[in-house]
Amino acid sequence: MTKKDKADDEFRPTGTVVILAIFVVTLIVIWATIYMILIGRGGTL
Amino acid sequence: MTQYQLSTGEKKFIGWHLLAAILAFAVGSFFGPLQAFEHAGWDLYPYLKPLIKSYYQGLTIHGVLNALVWTTFFIMGFLTFNVIFGLKRPLKNMTLNKVGFWMMVVGVLTAAVPILANEATVLFTFYPPLKANPFFYIGLTLVVVGSWVEGWGFFMTYAAWRKEHPNERTPFIAFGSLVTTLLWQICTLGVAVEILTMLLPWSLGLIEGVDPQLARTYFWFTGHPLVYFWLLPAYISWYAMLPKQAGGGKMFSDSLARLAFWLFLVLSTPLGFHHQYVDPGVPPVWKFIHAMLTFSVFFPSLMTAFTVIASLEYAGRKQGGTGTLRWIGKLNWSNPSVAAQLLAGILFFFGGIGGLANASYNVNLVLHNTAFVPGHFHLTVATAVTLSFMGISYWLVPYLTGKKLWQPKWATIQAWVWFIGMIIFSNSMHVLGLLGAPRRVPLGLAPYIPAEWNSRLFQVGVGGAILFVSGVLYLVVMYKTATNKQTVESEVEVPIAEAMQDPALSPVWLDRWSPWVYGALALIVIVYGPQLFDMIKNIALTSPGFRVW
Repeated sequence: MTKKDKADDEFRPTGTVVILAIFVVTLIVIWATIYMILIGRGGTL
Repeated sequence: MTQYQLSTGEKKFIGWHLLAAILAFAVGSFFGPLQAFEHAGWDLYPYLKPLIKSYYQGLTIHGVLNALVWTTFFIMGFLTFNVIFGLKRPLKNMTLNKVGFWMMVVGVLTAAVPILANEATVLFTFYPPLKANPFFYIGLTLVVVGSWVEGWGFFMTYAAWRKEHPNERTPFIAFGSLVTTLLWQICTLGVAVEILTMLLPWSLGLIEGVDPQLARTYFWFTGHPLVYFWLLPAYISWYAMLPKQAGGGKMFSDSLARLAFWLFLVLSTPLGFHHQYVDPGVPPVWKFIHAMLTFSVFFPSLMTAFTVIASLEYAGRKQGGTGTLRWIGKLNWSNPSVAAQLLAGILFFFGGIGGLANASYNVNLVLHNTAFVPGHFHLTVATAVTLSFMGISYWLVPYLTGKKLWQPKWATIQAWVWFIGMIIFSNSMHVLGLLGAPRRVPLGLAPYIPAEWNSRLFQVGVGGAILFVSGVLYLVVMYKTATNKQTVESEVEVPIAEAMQDPALSPVWLDRWSPWVYGALALIVIVYGPQLFDMIKNIALTSPGFRVW
């Protein structure tokens, strides 16, 4: 059975949240860049 | 230290899997750089004649051995270890698992003959109407069926354990391994049907033609969840082993980890049409539904990222790390197993982003069949998966053999060299794709190369060379470890990170199989059923086989 430390209760993964926020922003920027390439190539009808 | 003891026979059996995997890696990795060098204008293929006849034969060897054989053998070996060690009991029927393993070996050898004879230069996707020698398809079938048989051995072992422990939560590493096995058994039905009902009878001359559209649909039924078959074993290590190795950390949430695995099981198969956005025979509505389901897999992926990074953050802070991000430096980077897996995880961030771009119905039009795609999957299967497997082998091989890891410093350097080489290689492939460079093309021979591609093609070659150095270094470390005269003082400790919360407190429904299995099957029937029914009803076995090599 797992032992629960006091440190476990006090642990707040703030760095994790920051890393994931950076990831989401990077994702949006890269995706939008490719989308602009798509738009820049014009429509096909 | 008291930990569950595997028998010598069990260790040897797992070791055979790793040996087969590493041999496949050794041969396949010789050809990877040759593709990269060709792109850079340093075509070495003429020097390999008459042994290897073309760029495409080399590409087939590289793809089949590295993407299919290295991964499948390593995974089956690692899962065997996880099931035995996790459940703390021997396999229920070792003979069955041995039969499965040897079927896989015979399958690889059977497929290797036509590949090496240039009779199956159809790449690892083996799309018809490219037509291979029947033994290629028979060999692949044996590999898949052999892995099924090994999986049945896992399920029998689990059933026996469950009977003895009716109220216990399945230990996480065994749980993750069983979910991975089940996912594999479900998703490979697509490629099994493709080979047994079309490609094999076609190559044997029993039927005259093939339906490429239906074959591609069967293939991608398997092809995308195949990515999760590769990734989930790495995730098992990232969730439940890496935090311990990185600094005595714990798994942040056992419940989140289990939920993520169930979601991967349910969601990773019914989305194959996102590989077929430009195929004319699939109605847009189904492509759109599969696109949405592809994006739904982003949720368990993010849950995985959150839980794994939080577990690492806990480890880093436990080692004295402070600040928002400075704890990263406190992780045990000097351990090659840790360094390899952390670096694999860092590059996987970008692999995930590229994957979402590929999966977008609109922007896929920019990327489809361009160099962006191999750039992407070299971040996933060739880094997140392969570099993690290398990292796992840095503790698993000493554990299995009782030999000390040879020169851990060189093993750490190997991981960094792979990381650097892959950044150069993959980044240039992504950019080339955005500039319109096609994939599956010997670009060094193409007469239409615009000047703006040249510097990137050169970088592809440089990246490939660096990756080759890293691959050789990995093989040297593995060989020198296996033959090391220095033995470990005591059995290598298996790094298992305990969960912060007692797994017994995880909800019972996260340890029950039937709702998730029925859910997965139902979703497959709903989103694949109508279109597959229509394609089979209107099957057109009219395309003759082509041999373009």
